Amino acid sequence: MSRSLIALALLALLALTAAPAYAAEGAAKPGLLDPHLGLMTWTLLIFVVLMVLLKVFAFGPITEAVRSREQALTDAMAAAERDRNEAAKLLAEQRSAIEAARGEAQRFIAEGRATAESMRGEMLEQTRSQQAELLDRARKEIESEKVKAIDELRREAVDLALAGAGKLIGQKLDGAADRVIVEQYLNSLGSK
Amino acid sequence: MKPGFLKSLVPALLILAAPLTLPAQEHAAPADTAHAAGPVDIITPHITNSDHMEVPWPVFPFFKEITLPHWEPIHLGPLTLDMSPSKHVVMLLIGSTVLFLVMLLVAGAHKRASRAGVAPKGAANAIEAMILYIRNEVILPNVGHHGEGFVPYLLTAFFFILTLNLLGLVPYGSTATGNISVTATLAILTFITVELAGIRAQGLGYLNTIFYWNNDLPMVLRPVLFAIMSPVEMIGKITKPVALAIRLFANMTAGHIVVLAFIGLIFTFGSLISIAPFVMAVLVMVLELLVAFLQAFIFTLLSSVFIGQIREAHH
Repeated sequence: MSRSLIALALLALLALTAAPAYAAEGAAKPGLLDPHLGLMTWTLLIFVVLMVLLKVFAFGPITEAVRSREQALTDAMAAAERDRNEAAKLLAEQRSAIEAARGEAQRFIAEGRATAESMRGEMLEQTRSQQAELLDRARKEIESEKVKAIDELRREAVDLALAGAGKLIGQKLDGAADRVIVEQYLNSLGSK
Repeated sequence: MKPGFLKSLVPALLILAAPLTLPAQEHAAPADTAHAAGPVDIITPHITNSDHMEVPWPVFPFFKEITLPHWEPIHLGPLTLDMSPSKHVVMLLIGSTVLFLVMLLVAGAHKRASRAGVAPKGAANAIEAMILYIRNEVILPNVGHHGEGFVPYLLTAFFFILTLNLLGLVPYGSTATGNISVTATLAILTFITVELAGIRAQGLGYLNTIFYWNNDLPMVLRPVLFAIMSPVEMIGKITKPVALAIRLFANMTAGHIVVLAFIGLIFTFGSLISIAPFVMAVLVMVLELLVAFLQAFIFTLLSSVFIGQIREAHH
């Protein structure tokens, strides 16, 4: 039923709109197309005053508000764009820094490895040479000891031979000449 | 719909008819006794201007007829200026006051919102959308470069016409834009704006929009075409504002005549079949709502186009 009430209300509105129609006309009925100078003047006055008032108090402030809002929006967008670019730049910087650090680390590792390698080789070489030297020295010492021992032995043999021969011939063979003879003999043996 | 509803509607219609017929006969009687009982013209008084108007009244029949004061005409040389406030003058004043107050509120809402750094909400935003649409989509593209100076006039014209159109649809209201004097004044304002824009934009070249003188033609033909084409140019100039005035006036008047005719039919039938004109009246009223916006829009659009044309014109 509420719809019908609305319909009634609408109808009432329509009827009321029509109500002003009963304003009784005077004897002289103005034609529909007859311009009325007084009304035209009123229209002109009202319109011009309204235009000035609206321009000053309404359209000006409203467009200004809209303009400032748009400006704020553009500014915000520009700021966001700037921030984004900055962030991108920073990111790129960071990335390149990380890249550089990584390269450096790689280099350090490689360098360390190379150093270690070379040090190992060096030490190895050193050890080997020291070992060789030690061996060499030992060998030389052995040689010299051997020569010394041979000499000692030879001298002992000469002494023994001379002592033996002196017993045999009953005389003391201690002359230098005898010694030379025996040594010559021994040398001839050694040279064989 | 239930038949019971229809049965209750018919008496309701008849009750509503009472205020419509009674005062009409009252006024008609002393004027023309012979036709007092005959058909009464309810349409012409409604759509024409008068020095009477109905105001809302708290007791039945909810309106009171008042007679507007009559002022002595002012004599300006040969002109007789009757500045008595008529019904349409009152509507013009009410309309512009309402419009100004609404716009003031909207501007206030914008200032507050602007200070807060946000967009205003609700009605203020809706009016802003209308202003921006008319300004950015209708006026500026049509008027051409540096057309900001025309914006206040055209925007005011749009909202002025719109408010007056809508006031004509409100009970007790009357359509000031359905009066040829009002529309003619607006059209003349547009005409003056257009011609001033032409003079400002083209300087001496403005004369070419009145007198046809084509330098590309052979010397012999120039005066001939001048004689033929100049009246055409002049008529074209006058036709535009005349069309503007007639279009707005005719649209507003015609709509009201149709609505009134349907309302009249409701009471003429006075039976169940009255539902049909009732529905039609409501529908035409809704259509009128559209036309109120449309005509304001068209007036603004065409004014912008005319201004744009004369500023662009090259002969």
